[in-house]
Amino acid sequence: MMNFKREFRQNYSPAMRLAVISLVLCGLVFPLVITGIAQVFLPSQANGSLVQLHGKNVGSSLIAQTFSLPIFFHPRNDSASGVDPDITVKDAYSQIPRISSATDISVDMLQQIVNQNEEGTFWIFGTPYVNVLRLNLVLIQTNNSAYGAFQ
Amino acid sequence: MILVVAILSGRFLAPYITRVFSRSPSRLDKVLNPIEKGIYRLISVDPARGMGWKEYFLAALVVNIFQMAIAFIIFAFQGVLPLNPQGFPGLSWDLAFMQVISFGTNTNLQHYNGEGNCIQLPNCAALTPGVPGLSYLSEMMAVQFLQFTSAATGICVAVAMIRGFVAHSKDLGNFYVDFTRSLTRILFPLCFVASLVFVGLGVPQTLTGYHIVSTVEGATTRATQTILVGPVASLVSIMQLGTNGGGYYGANSAYPFQNPNPASDIFQIFLMLLIPTTLCFVFGQLTGKKRETRPILWGAYSLFALDLLIAFTPNLPVVGPGMEVRFGGFFSVFWTVVTTAVTTGSVNASLSGLNPLVILSAFNGMLIQATPGGKGVGVMYMVMFIILTVFIVGLMSGRTPEYLGLKITARDVKLVMIAFLVHPVIVLVPTVLAYSTGAAGAIGVGTSSIGFTKIFYEFTSAAANNGSDFLGASANTPFFNISTALVMFLGRFAPIGLLLSLGGSMINRKRLTTEAGVRTDSPLFALILVGSILVLVLLTFFPFLALGPILEFFQGHVNGF
Repeated sequence: MMNFKREFRQNYSPAMRLAVISLVLCGLVFPLVITGIAQVFLPSQANGSLVQLHGKNVGSSLIAQTFSLPIFFHPRNDSASGVDPDITVKDAYSQIPRISSATDISVDMLQQIVNQNEEGTFWIFGTPYVNVLRLNLVLIQTNNSAYGAFQ
Repeated sequence: MILVVAILSGRFLAPYITRVFSRSPSRLDKVLNPIEKGIYRLISVDPARGMGWKEYFLAALVVNIFQMAIAFIIFAFQGVLPLNPQGFPGLSWDLAFMQVISFGTNTNLQHYNGEGNCIQLPNCAALTPGVPGLSYLSEMMAVQFLQFTSAATGICVAVAMIRGFVAHSKDLGNFYVDFTRSLTRILFPLCFVASLVFVGLGVPQTLTGYHIVSTVEGATTRATQTILVGPVASLVSIMQLGTNGGGYYGANSAYPFQNPNPASDIFQIFLMLLIPTTLCFVFGQLTGKKRETRPILWGAYSLFALDLLIAFTPNLPVVGPGMEVRFGGFFSVFWTVVTTAVTTGSVNASLSGLNPLVILSAFNGMLIQATPGGKGVGVMYMVMFIILTVFIVGLMSGRTPEYLGLKITARDVKLVMIAFLVHPVIVLVPTVLAYSTGAAGAIGVGTSSIGFTKIFYEFTSAAANNGSDFLGASANTPFFNISTALVMFLGRFAPIGLLLSLGGSMINRKRLTTEAGVRTDSPLFALILVGSILVLVLLTFFPFLALGPILEFFQGHVNGF
């Protein structure tokens, strides 16, 4: 027990100082250095991959946003994060008839837009998917009269 | 494929880590020596002085307690501290207490969402006052800080224990030096690269507040959306590399900003596996008996393969509710097995969306804790199991139990038995208490197989210092905060203390020159090792597993948590 007391007395001061030094290095210097480098070299990603329409930020390509009008593709709302930005290509196809009848854009044209924006599959794993916000921005930029309010 | 890359990278990285701890000269010395010497001077420690196991453990414990105390102050007073653009109030004392122990013990169980109540609200417009969230300062100087230090501590204690087994060793090393070097030479360089890769893949890294934008439909409806940015990338790198698992967001690595695409997903799986796998090789290299890496690595990965087999039994999963489209079913399940096998505890899908057999496999990972287990402690647990197995085999064959030429004494067996038994006690007792005190019912969790699985999982995860859970912020009650905090603290420091004591007692022990004992580097031994681990662990916990995920499977719940 005497031994323990002596060892504790010997160690608490270095321990406290090491705790403070590690706080500064791990909690301040490291994240600030990364922030600095990221902001200089990768500003778009570092600030949340914001997406612009007519020069104004309208969301992030990585985060789902609510679409409720029939003229747009809708995101899913049952995923783990609640903000899954993607839907499967199959899901997108199933929404095409609705969008087509609301906008007069042909089914063929919409299928083509979906196919052109299809993203990553991994070998045999995973399902091909599309990003909902990007799809909808493409729709707006097709200059169809149905999207007049957004152009 | 990822596993092969992880094992090869571990093999590649191990000699470097071995040299870091044997203090061999390195090209980095020019830059790092002056910094490290500066630190030793600031804390007035003589780097050449070695420590016995008691002092090493004491130093580790006291440093960790001071670090947790600092983080407690930051959590509790974040409301008045800088870098809080969202204006989150300080955490309640019981939540702050629970969270610092959670991060300080490498567990990362989280009873809050980092982004307050903005989780799962696609167009979250405003934060509700009173819902706990974390300021940028707390994310950096409490969460990331403890994620670094607990990871470094894990590596240090594992290396210290291994040193006990090294021939002619005089002490277990100097904790302050090991801790400093594992930060400057291992964690900082690896996390530096990893953080920038994550930013490149789309993970935010900024100190400006959440962006509020007018959405596309907002052109007609005036709807706005809050984009939840922050210093995320630097946290994600250490949370995965350090097998911490505590995410920036409540949804953890299912949230797109924490894990934007399949590439970031695979990179995170790789980072989780890297250091626990590397340390299996470091064991063989530090002890100078490279063949002795085999039982550790083979044992760990065959148990891991078994977990995968159980998890994928239901059939190749497809994207279901609770999963993210960009990962699909396969990577959601694969991730869950990895995260529990290395006790990281991060998730990329909602556990509620997974088949009971996947959850059963997750339990296996957390109950064994050595498949290959958390950073550092995984190797320690495997050595514990090896000594138990050597002892059992010795009893059966009538040979003297010995390991690495060291005779295993009655005291050694007592130590590893106690270390082994800590785990069931701190899992099973609080699980029962949660029901008998009515604390489970108070947060709306019932006694069905589903409810039971959730509570059992909570304490298993806490005891294994894993951190994945079903309950999340709903468990922010004094009972769960205090009980899980105690379980995490004991689950971390009791086995570490006992196994350091084991390592310490090996110093100066006479080495047998004749190989009279059981050979521990053969495939046969690895097989017996795996068998005895399964018997020991699964028999201990089987009644509880039977009432939880196994019952659930036979009741036909597919993903009905």
